[in-house]
Amino acid sequence: MSALDQPQVALSSLEGFLSQVRPRLKVLFAYYKIPSQDTEDILQQALLALLYRYDGVRDPEAWLLGTLRNKCLLYWRQRRRALYEAVDTAVLERMAEPQPPAQEGADLRSDLANALESVPPRCRSLLRLRFRQGYGRPELAERLGYSPASISKITTRCLDALTRFLVQAGGRRKKAEHD
Amino acid sequence: MTEIHPTSETLEHFVLGQLPALEMREIARHLLTGCLRCQEVMAGLWEPGDELEDLLAAGEIEAIDMEDGVRDAYDEVLDRVFFKVVAAEAVIDEQRAAGRKLFGELMQLPPARRHLLACNSNRFKDRMLCECLIHEGHEAGFDDPQRAIDIAQLGTLVADRLEAEDCDGEEGLNSLRARAWAQLGNAFRVSFQLASAERAFAVAESLLDEGCIALLDKARVLDLLASLRIGQRRFAEAHQLLDRAAFIYRKLGQWNLLGRMLLQKAVVCGEAGDGEGEMTLLRRGLDLIDPQADPRVFLMARHNLINALHESGRSREAFALLFHTRPLYLKAGDRVSLLRLRWLEGLVAFGLQRIEQAEVAFREVREGFGELDLDYDAALASLDLAGVYIAQGRTHDVRRIAEETLAVFQARNTHQEAMAALLVFSDAARLDRAELELVREVSGFLKRVRSNPDLRFSAPS
Repeated sequence: MSALDQPQVALSSLEGFLSQVRPRLKVLFAYYKIPSQDTEDILQQALLALLYRYDGVRDPEAWLLGTLRNKCLLYWRQRRRALYEAVDTAVLERMAEPQPPAQEGADLRSDLANALESVPPRCRSLLRLRFRQGYGRPELAERLGYSPASISKITTRCLDALTRFLVQAGGRRKKAEHD
Repeated sequence: MTEIHPTSETLEHFVLGQLPALEMREIARHLLTGCLRCQEVMAGLWEPGDELEDLLAAGEIEAIDMEDGVRDAYDEVLDRVFFKVVAAEAVIDEQRAAGRKLFGELMQLPPARRHLLACNSNRFKDRMLCECLIHEGHEAGFDDPQRAIDIAQLGTLVADRLEAEDCDGEEGLNSLRARAWAQLGNAFRVSFQLASAERAFAVAESLLDEGCIALLDKARVLDLLASLRIGQRRFAEAHQLLDRAAFIYRKLGQWNLLGRMLLQKAVVCGEAGDGEGEMTLLRRGLDLIDPQADPRVFLMARHNLINALHESGRSREAFALLFHTRPLYLKAGDRVSLLRLRWLEGLVAFGLQRIEQAEVAFREVREGFGELDLDYDAALASLDLAGVYIAQGRTHDVRRIAEETLAVFQARNTHQEAMAALLVFSDAARLDRAELELVREVSGFLKRVRSNPDLRFSAPS
């Protein structure tokens, strides 16, 4: 895109601008499946930020859509944290139960082994150490050679992969059957 | 548990992380058993990947399905938000005007009083004043580096006193603080106070690491930090920072800022000796910069391209481009821009073997910078003039220029290594052994050491 092709959208009339972007905003929120009740804060914060910074933004529509996409992704990232913690704790508790019924214990180990097969190899090693041997984050960092600062991010990424498998396996199976 | 399935609604709340911790764990345990039924319900609840950009680019955005109920719910929210935002517009305009007024008031006071008020007065604890200080601090960097530091310092003082509620939340506050500190770092960089610049950028970076920062502001911090890294000749780091900033600008569709990034990357290539890469990036950057909206940036890019063409021995092309660029320098009109134009004319003339034209140009530039007390630039122009005299075999004039330049540097107590480089040149001139190659080496070193005082000059064998 050259400078001549760039849209020169001035924020000359806020109301005109808002009606222009309205259809795209709805599609964007629908695409990212943001519940309507949570849309209000995200949109209001972004639009106010645009008003405060309008002199530094050359193409307000592109800025707004880009900013909202990022906020939608952050929205999900924040929601996921509770989910990852739940999966992490559930597996740890289940593995640590002193005497689970023999069949149940074997099923869990087998289910977990299946789930771990679906995550990337790097995550597999990390999650095996965590769930089978109960390693905490500092120990994982030391054992796998990660810096203490980055181990949290890496663990979260691995729990994300595992959770996605647990949640989406049904969808994938359905798709495979359909295909 | 495996026999009792959570309801669809519960599963939806689970995916959103909205259930109490105990219930979240129970469902996670249930899912671990591989419950196909629940997985099928949840597969559709997981958010999509970030492929919206591709759909937007392909013009397929309207193809995204939306049920009527969902559309209506969004419409209601949009109506409410738009109403509030339209009402807020006038208020923000008033706040902006008030911020400008506060800035004017603050800048009329003596520096100590300004500092005191920025630190203590509630009236000056103002978001728009802070925005104004950041903006004005940046502008002052082009004309008056010390004033730029003073203003940027006030910006950090005000930013650090603000609270989340002053800035519509944590993100607004962190973004403003990060920008204020990065602007101060940049102001120090422009005045070659690199240790202070490093300290200010450390604060800005810590805010990037800790807090939630608006994307555009994050890119701005990375962009300014890259300039410091270029000055320090830490090119690999500069390259990484510029790539990160460019990614954000592309994501936000801010093509003019992406163009600026390419110009910065061109500088990195040029400093690393990749002349072809430099020119390619400069052309791509120029294509994205709107000369009407960003005349100063456009002119700087053209200037660098002409210089790069000259440096790579393509003086004819440089001459042609200079001819078309001259009106932009004249339009800029300030003394320094005109001196830079004249300097470039001298360099291109020298490249075209028009030695006498080059001599006149370099003499004018040397005198001009001297009159503005910009001794360092005057010294660099002097070296170019010495190059002309060497080409003409005027050893007496080379000696005179070397002595005069050295005397100015000695009187101003210039950086030791710069002085060492000039001494080598001066000694060679005294012995009538100064050659064009030595002039280029010393001149190149003086340009580099200016932004990186840790460099050491080693005399060519």
